[in-house]
Amino acid sequence: MDAAFLIASAVKVLIVLGFVLIAVPFIVWMERKVIGHMQDRIGPQRVGPFGLLQTIADGIKLFFKEDIIPGQADRVVFFLAPALSVITAFVALSVVPFGDKVTVFGREVPLHIADVNVAILWVLGTTSMGVYGIVLGGWASNSKYPLLGGLRSSAQMISYELAQGISLVGVILMTGTLSLAGIVRQQEHMWFIVPQFFAFVIFLLCGIAETNRAPFDLPEAETELVAGFHTEFSSMKFALYFLAEYANMMVVSAVAISVFFGGWHGPILPPVVWFLIKLSLFLFFFVWLRATFPRLRYDQLMAFGWKVLLPLSLLNLAVTAVVVALTG
Amino acid sequence: MVEAILFTLFSLSAVAFSLGMVFRRNAVHCALHLVGVLLSLSGMFVLLHAQFIAAIQILVYAGAIMVLFLFVVMLLNVRGESPLLTPGAAKGFGFFFAFIAFVELLWIVLSRGGSEGLPEAVAALSPGFGSPSEIGRILYTTWLFPFEVTSILLMIAVVGAVVLAKRKFA
Repeated sequence: MDAAFLIASAVKVLIVLGFVLIAVPFIVWMERKVIGHMQDRIGPQRVGPFGLLQTIADGIKLFFKEDIIPGQADRVVFFLAPALSVITAFVALSVVPFGDKVTVFGREVPLHIADVNVAILWVLGTTSMGVYGIVLGGWASNSKYPLLGGLRSSAQMISYELAQGISLVGVILMTGTLSLAGIVRQQEHMWFIVPQFFAFVIFLLCGIAETNRAPFDLPEAETELVAGFHTEFSSMKFALYFLAEYANMMVVSAVAISVFFGGWHGPILPPVVWFLIKLSLFLFFFVWLRATFPRLRYDQLMAFGWKVLLPLSLLNLAVTAVVVALTG
Repeated sequence: MVEAILFTLFSLSAVAFSLGMVFRRNAVHCALHLVGVLLSLSGMFVLLHAQFIAAIQILVYAGAIMVLFLFVVMLLNVRGESPLLTPGAAKGFGFFFAFIAFVELLWIVLSRGGSEGLPEAVAALSPGFGSPSEIGRILYTTWLFPFEVTSILLMIAVVGAVVLAKRKFA
């Protein structure tokens, strides 16, 4: 634990944090623009070239808006909930490897903030902590629609976490490691999407459900629940929930890339660039889904999670285990 | 040095959250304090070179079980209605069990000769100690029987819960 290690870690934390904070406005812009064109509209175009500065203007507006706290709200928890959402999303990003080792000033620096040997469990654990932000936000508002949204979300996230975790076990069995960097290193010749295609599909579906994105955005279904758990949140607290949602999209995409899509591996271009290209493709996919699919009904959502995804992920795990045991 | 600071930090927060959990009136706040205790314990597990246990602690206890706790607390919306025990009896039970736990801990500490045995124990750790592969190996060789018994017990509990929930109360 020398000074150089501390400095390198601090710089990496700043890079990841800064990247996410800068990237989120542009992802929101991309989402509005893409959905706009998919629906035969043109999307934002007034602020800046191609409307690029629209989200930044929105962010500044939210920053200066009055912060309204409902009279009957639990003030401490109301304050804590949006922060928890953002913290858990950022903490999960700390174990994601976004490139191979690089040499800076004669020292080898691995391109992830923390290399823990239980990285996958760490990501699953922190994302499962993310549910607190939503549940508590709904509860602390002391209002019926947010509470219903919060309860829905906790049921949804617990249900889909199971299948998500089990879908990753297949890859863990094949590689024998829980470290994301270790898994990426073993994908130099073949991405794990090839042998673990079903696991990837299950993981992605669960990931969308975990991030509360359409078509699984039941916790904030506006036709039934106003805006769900964040109905009562205004100003920067609302912006924090927004930030957390997009940061969580990045977490799910980054884990999917590391586990199934070869992480930073790719020809010609430098590793970090490959990682960013894959990340953008995933984020585009999220947006594409939202523009394409209508929202599920709540019973469909629960039945899909428990009766389809969970058995499929268990089947995939069993088959993988047998194959791994037979081939050595 | 760093370890000592971190240990102090985690243990202080664990104690503070435990006190909060016991003394808060609002059931949701109590549950949140319990989450704080679990997170502090997870930090201590990392200091004990048990990263796997620490991650599992967060994933299972803080991430899944406590969410269910919170879920139930919110659904039932308990606000101190019809407690099972009178406050005095509850306090008596609390002090009784706390005393027993204290005696047990004292027993363990004294029978080990305080903290004298600890440095050797740390030095004797194998290099892979606490890693997932090492835990898995031990779990499926040395402790296979207790492990399987535990899983069957859990299975029975799940089946029992489903049967109870499905039964029609006429």
